Amino acid sequence: MPPLSLPIHGQPAPHRGPEQRWRSLAEAAGSADPAAGSYPDGDEAAPDSFGRRSFMQLLGASAALAGLSACKPPREKVVSYVRRPAGVTPSLPGFYASALSRGGHAVGVLVETHEGRPTKIEGNPGQAASLGAAGLHELASILDLYDPSRLAGVRRDGRPLAWSAFLQEAAGLAAAHEKDGGARLRLLAEPTSSPALADQRARLLARFPRARVHAWDPLAEDAARVGARLAFGRPLEAAYQLEGADVILSLDADFLASEGDHLRNARAFASRRTQAGMNRLYQAEAGYSVTGGAADHRLRMRAGEVLPFARAVAAALAAHHGLPALAALGAAAAGELGRTAAAVAKDLYSARGRGLVLVGRRQPAALHALAAVVNAALGNTGVTVVWREPALLDPLAGVAGLSALARELAAGQVDTLIVTAWNPAYTAPADLGLAALLGKVPNLVYLASREDETSQVAGTVVAAAHPLESWGDLRGRDGTASIVQPLLAPLAESVTELDLLSAFTGQGHLGAWRLVRDGWKARTGEAGFDQAWDGWLAAGVVAGTARPPVAVAVDAAAVAAALAAAPVPPAGLEACFAPDDKALDGRFADNAWLQELPHPVSKLTWDNAAFLSPATARRLGLADGDVVALSLRGRTVDAPVLIQPGHADESVTLPLGYGRTQAGPAGAGIGFAAGALRHAAAPWIDGGLELRKTGRRHALARTQEHFSMEGRAIALGYDVGALPHAAHELDEHRGEQATILPAVDYSKEEYRWGMAIDLSRCTGCGACTLACQAENNIPIVGKEQVLKSREMHWLRVDRYYEGTPADPTSVSQPLACVHCESAPCEYVCPVNATVHSDEGLNEMVYNRCVGTRYCSNNCAYKVRRFNYLDYRGTMAPVSKMLQNPDVTVRARGVMEKCSYCVQRIERVRIGARSQGEKVGGDAVVSACQQACSAEAIVFGNLNDPASRVARLQQDERRYDLLHELGTRPRTAYLVRLRNPNPELA
Amino acid sequence: MSALFTKRSNALLLTTLGVLGLGAAGTIGGLLLYWRTPYGTNQNVQIVQPVQFDHRHHVQDDLIDCRYCHSSVDKAPSAGIPPTELCLSCHSQIWNKSPLLDVVRQSWFANKPIVWTRVHKLPDFVYFNHAIHVNKGVGCAECHGRVDQMAVIEQVQPLTMGFCLDCHRNPQPRLRPLEEVANVRWRPPADRAALGAELARKYDVKPKVNCTTCHR
Amino acid sequence: MSGRPAAAALADPLEPVPVLVGRPDDRALTASLTGPVFGPTRKGWLILISVLLVGMGFWILSLVTTLVVGIGAWGNNIPVAWAFDITNFVWWIGIGHAGTLISAILLLFQQKWRTSINRFAEAMTLFAVAMAGLYPIIHLGRPWLFWWLMPYPSTNQIWPNFKSALPWDVFAISTYATVSFLFWFLGLIPDLATLRDTAPTRTKRLVYGLFAFGWRGSARHWHHYRIGYLLLAGLGTPLVVSVHTIVSFDFAISQLPGWHTTIFPPYFVAGAIFSGFAMVVSLMIPARKLMGLEQVITMKHLDNMVKVILATGLMVTYGYVMEHFMAWYSGSDAEAFAFLNRWTGPYAPIWYMQLCCNVLAPQVFWFPSMRRNLVVMFVVSVLVNVGMWAERFVIIAVSLHRDFIPASWGMYSPTWVDWGLLFGSMCTFGVLFMLFLRFVPAVPIAELKELRRELEHHDAQAGHAASTGHGGHGAEARP
Repeated sequence: MPPLSLPIHGQPAPHRGPEQRWRSLAEAAGSADPAAGSYPDGDEAAPDSFGRRSFMQLLGASAALAGLSACKPPREKVVSYVRRPAGVTPSLPGFYASALSRGGHAVGVLVETHEGRPTKIEGNPGQAASLGAAGLHELASILDLYDPSRLAGVRRDGRPLAWSAFLQEAAGLAAAHEKDGGARLRLLAEPTSSPALADQRARLLARFPRARVHAWDPLAEDAARVGARLAFGRPLEAAYQLEGADVILSLDADFLASEGDHLRNARAFASRRTQAGMNRLYQAEAGYSVTGGAADHRLRMRAGEVLPFARAVAAALAAHHGLPALAALGAAAAGELGRTAAAVAKDLYSARGRGLVLVGRRQPAALHALAAVVNAALGNTGVTVVWREPALLDPLAGVAGLSALARELAAGQVDTLIVTAWNPAYTAPADLGLAALLGKVPNLVYLASREDETSQVAGTVVAAAHPLESWGDLRGRDGTASIVQPLLAPLAESVTELDLLSAFTGQGHLGAWRLVRDGWKARTGEAGFDQAWDGWLAAGVVAGTARPPVAVAVDAAAVAAALAAAPVPPAGLEACFAPDDKALDGRFADNAWLQELPHPVSKLTWDNAAFLSPATARRLGLADGDVVALSLRGRTVDAPVLIQPGHADESVTLPLGYGRTQAGPAGAGIGFAAGALRHAAAPWIDGGLELRKTGRRHALARTQEHFSMEGRAIALGYDVGALPHAAHELDEHRGEQATILPAVDYSKEEYRWGMAIDLSRCTGCGACTLACQAENNIPIVGKEQVLKSREMHWLRVDRYYEGTPADPTSVSQPLACVHCESAPCEYVCPVNATVHSDEGLNEMVYNRCVGTRYCSNNCAYKVRRFNYLDYRGTMAPVSKMLQNPDVTVRARGVMEKCSYCVQRIERVRIGARSQGEKVGGDAVVSACQQACSAEAIVFGNLNDPASRVARLQQDERRYDLLHELGTRPRTAYLVRLRNPNPELA
Repeated sequence: MSALFTKRSNALLLTTLGVLGLGAAGTIGGLLLYWRTPYGTNQNVQIVQPVQFDHRHHVQDDLIDCRYCHSSVDKAPSAGIPPTELCLSCHSQIWNKSPLLDVVRQSWFANKPIVWTRVHKLPDFVYFNHAIHVNKGVGCAECHGRVDQMAVIEQVQPLTMGFCLDCHRNPQPRLRPLEEVANVRWRPPADRAALGAELARKYDVKPKVNCTTCHR
Repeated sequence: MSGRPAAAALADPLEPVPVLVGRPDDRALTASLTGPVFGPTRKGWLILISVLLVGMGFWILSLVTTLVVGIGAWGNNIPVAWAFDITNFVWWIGIGHAGTLISAILLLFQQKWRTSINRFAEAMTLFAVAMAGLYPIIHLGRPWLFWWLMPYPSTNQIWPNFKSALPWDVFAISTYATVSFLFWFLGLIPDLATLRDTAPTRTKRLVYGLFAFGWRGSARHWHHYRIGYLLLAGLGTPLVVSVHTIVSFDFAISQLPGWHTTIFPPYFVAGAIFSGFAMVVSLMIPARKLMGLEQVITMKHLDNMVKVILATGLMVTYGYVMEHFMAWYSGSDAEAFAFLNRWTGPYAPIWYMQLCCNVLAPQVFWFPSMRRNLVVMFVVSVLVNVGMWAERFVIIAVSLHRDFIPASWGMYSPTWVDWGLLFGSMCTFGVLFMLFLRFVPAVPIAELKELRRELEHHDAQAGHAASTGHGGHGAEARP
């Protein structure tokens, strides 16, 4: 009865956790286990067998005491390396640079690894698309690496097949196709920028001249490229320089959260959201996007009205501001829309050369072209927007190519189809009936990481390696190349797209590493290659591969023609498809972190829903959670509705990526498949949607139910003009307070840790929440628990609406433990499990906590989280490899909360002090701060006047949340600023 | 009516009550004591290892520095168990036929790690960091004792939280010059207090007793 | 007792209703009062206890589930981290107040009417405290570590946090439980002796004899007995006030709107007595009927008790009013909202129920006729207990579910385990009480005989025909 000593002494059981982990890792990473046990698995109870623990808990302490002296736990084993891999110091993390693909473009990442075990993905400061920040999908993709539901090996007609055997089959297949030049061979791939894949495709087409490569991405940005071709004659790629933009008109573009280089955009945009030289953003959109929340003027209109609005702006520019070039493009609008357009036009004109018009991927090509012309006419081109040759091999990856393939399949012109695009059977527009067609292909070879709708119909399914297990390369939108390097050998037998293609090009024996390396050797030459290569791997980017901007000349006439031919706003209720902020097109539906992450705007978890405006809901007699039957072009899908304040009336936003029938445990049967309503003719914006109430209800698990501040001073906001007069109003929310208790003086301490959160920069995207989850081993609790409001996120992002429900502005407020200097939670804890450190940290000591939960009751900010159940008991052994060994894994019945990433503080401190140095004021970076693309969160030492956080806490916008309670929080907020246009106010 | 109880029943009742009371007190007191005994803290237990590695020989006779094998002790939280590779760096030359080293050679040729048994075990929620202690002049011997005199490694200190706190509250008596850190045979000078005070100044030794110093 | 002035029992024109009907002699009293103990098991008793045992099984099931699955088996969440668990705890502790109050304070005030009901109330107190004491332990996330709340020298060199009210609770409740038990048991000893001497079988004689601690009723015994009893009464009296005061600190020391108020100590104590008396009445009315104790537990007792209920009810009402006044007077938005939320929030029905049961219902006792109507008294006292449970739920859960930051507001809904722990504990309480009624005299025989003598003195002095009395003082315990 070893575990008996455990609840008494508060000592951990000698659980089998590490051994299991390490054994699997030893195999995976080809290295054995260094001193185990220095890897904590629980403050007292490791995630191990429920039976044993429940038995233990049933037993009273007295029984345990009795058993205690009788027997002792068996001693833990320590496993040493046979050969210690170079550069590995056991118990110290290593960081390796790599890149992940988003829409075929590179996002640079740094991966934290412990003895060859990746535990966290962070942004790569040296890479243009990341600048050190990481988005939701970069952060979350580490979870996919350890997903127990991943495929392994090759499956042919339901039977496993060795990779070597598959290589032979592929060779045979290739030989057969060679006869007719591959006339009946097709490749359905995702758009990519990878030079190595370019080589392989070239080899493929060289060997099979009559074969075809079709690119398909359900979220493709075709409209932008076609628009560019209209305007410039070439499908160029736009890169925005938001640092220089004073006035920004965004036409349905969610450029801060989900479109383009959104991390880079957010960084640049945020740099202009402070008192000094504040920019102004007009956002014209139907649904409430993250960018809409950040806008100064959110112009609420149906997606179909955006084009007319843009033309009205053009018309106004032409008419009132002497830009004849735009006369032919504009079309004046009447009424409110016209007035707004006029005001926007005036603003854009007054900021010519310092303004920007950008367009979202959903809008028609003609509008993209119009925007290009307007930018050119206003002299913004070359300043706030530059044009480059696209980095993608296939700039066009929309419905057109897929439809062509569908026709060929229907005509039975394809014998062998290699599918490396993600799950086309699910993502293809419904009217193509691709799922059925794919089933008919004689040889369908599908590269997939998990079971999905396509793997069900594929004869041969090849397990795809995770990017962190893969060799490869990618380019950023500016053309800068990055080498994708593996962090560990595949946990289960799996290959990359490169490996798969090379099997058909006769290079299957080489392997991805050789293919990538040789490709670059060929590109850059032998001389000093090895050294350069190592440099690229270390830096994460291949220096000097950026493409220069190209000079452009607009062809207004072509654009005018295109505008004339542009589709008119569809009649009736508008269906507006959108990539889900979390699941994207569905490829992240299996990611439990993203599923549980509150939707940035609606705070919805484990679901998607049809979003519509309060007015529309009233007209149709709908309430949150009502299930409706959506009918579009003869297809019907049942979906729950969610009433979104500020949504355009008579328009319904349908997020893609849910309603998966074949998926892993996390993704299957969640939400509704909006894609099943999508039609090739109008994949983004469609009309004539019918909506019928079914009378059924669906429970929507939202982490926030109440979106009004109740008139309390919580997330403060000011117009930038009013700020100078707000000083004494703000003084009520900051500074010293009279108290009968002498406040502890921390100014003498060497370090006084603190945080500053700038509400003006924050877009509410939620990356901080995910980064915190990854850093601090925060468990996933599932929909039922979220419905019981037991979600465990240490850092939540609250969103409040102000103004009318019809058209509110919104502000989001990241809120974690604010580390009160006089903390209400501390004095009520009966066992001293939460106490204050001399540097001002509000410490939560899991192994001392008995779980009275009084601390949470007395916490004014309600940022403490309680392990109501054993949320880790169900964790698969492979998933345990994800745990950060520097943070205790909390047991059932224990309170937890934000620790200011104390493990990072101590790592930096010990590193510095071992060298006899001091810790710099900005040397410690919290996980949330690191991930934030808008630099809204800053952590550091308040006793170092030079530190960024110290300066920010002196800012005129600083205030303390619930200051009146006298809790003296260490986390200070900076008020949200708005820069409205007086003419529209 | 006959007497219900005999004369002795009073005495009997009283003794029973007494025994019960003493028993309860004894159990609690015993447990409080138990955790302070070497048995309760797993001290002085000689553990059989897969390899009969004798620290006496390697430290005393061969004068090998602790840091030669436990190489990450001054860089990382974990001191590190030497990889098989390291053993064979010598023993491929000397004693390369010795049956005592069969396990090591098997490990090397089969590329299978040696599975040792942990001697010094701290709870998993304790984040002890060797590097900072070694770099601030806390000698190996302070916690691990005279390893050079142990045929088989055993735990000599209680390693309870109290043990850690005693030193964190008053580190000076445990400090020694950095160059002597790994020297288990080092004899402190007569006035160790003075030395400790001086070293504490010199190395800027200010250990913390915050919970998060060890629990994260 | 001879030392006590007969003046203590002077005629009292304000007591027209007798506290003892007739003047039964010792033998009659002993026979009637030991009847329930030695008589054959009644069918009604069997049926009742078996029903209660079923409920007790449900309670055990809920307990085991809680321990195996964890607190997650309940509906608690963030923000509502305390709900049924602590509500039940405070409710039971409150009920546990009547006993010691009646026994100790009324004893010190020499209230004759306490005599026939004090053991009844004390037993109820014991069982209520036993029920209450359970919740602070099982509501812990890791109940097997409850002993970390006790100060003991650990090798971690950590002590409990004495700034927190929860360790105070540990001491307050354990002390209260100990003293209540001693008080109850000490009072029981003479009667245990009586039972020993009247028991039909030898085993019963042995068992009762063992617990009678060799009581012979000698003058010396009585001398010590009285001193001990008086001392314990003196010890118990402050406890009655202290325990619920400290329980109220569990909330008052916090900063949560609805908890953070200085009126809690008196308001909680009043509420405790309120609910305690209500529980005594609702138990006594059926019990005296079933066990034929109308002779010794008269309308006088019930009348006095419902008067106390009326009085404490008014104090509690004052507490409600003051809370709302302070919410307005404090000028704190959050504070004001917390109380507005009681009237208009999603849990408003429970608040209105509380007002009806605690404020309106007791007002009927202004009418003497109502104070003589057993049905009314029973119904109202039950309502008061319901109302007092609702009050605790409103204070705890409803204050928690909407506090400072609107984004963190949430709702609470109980699970079957929550209900199991509430109703199950009631049944367990009932089982214990049924056993009490079966195995020890529910009415203190000795004290009653003593009371009869006092009354005879009073009758004599009042010039009435004194009924014969025989047997000297100190002979009560002998038939």
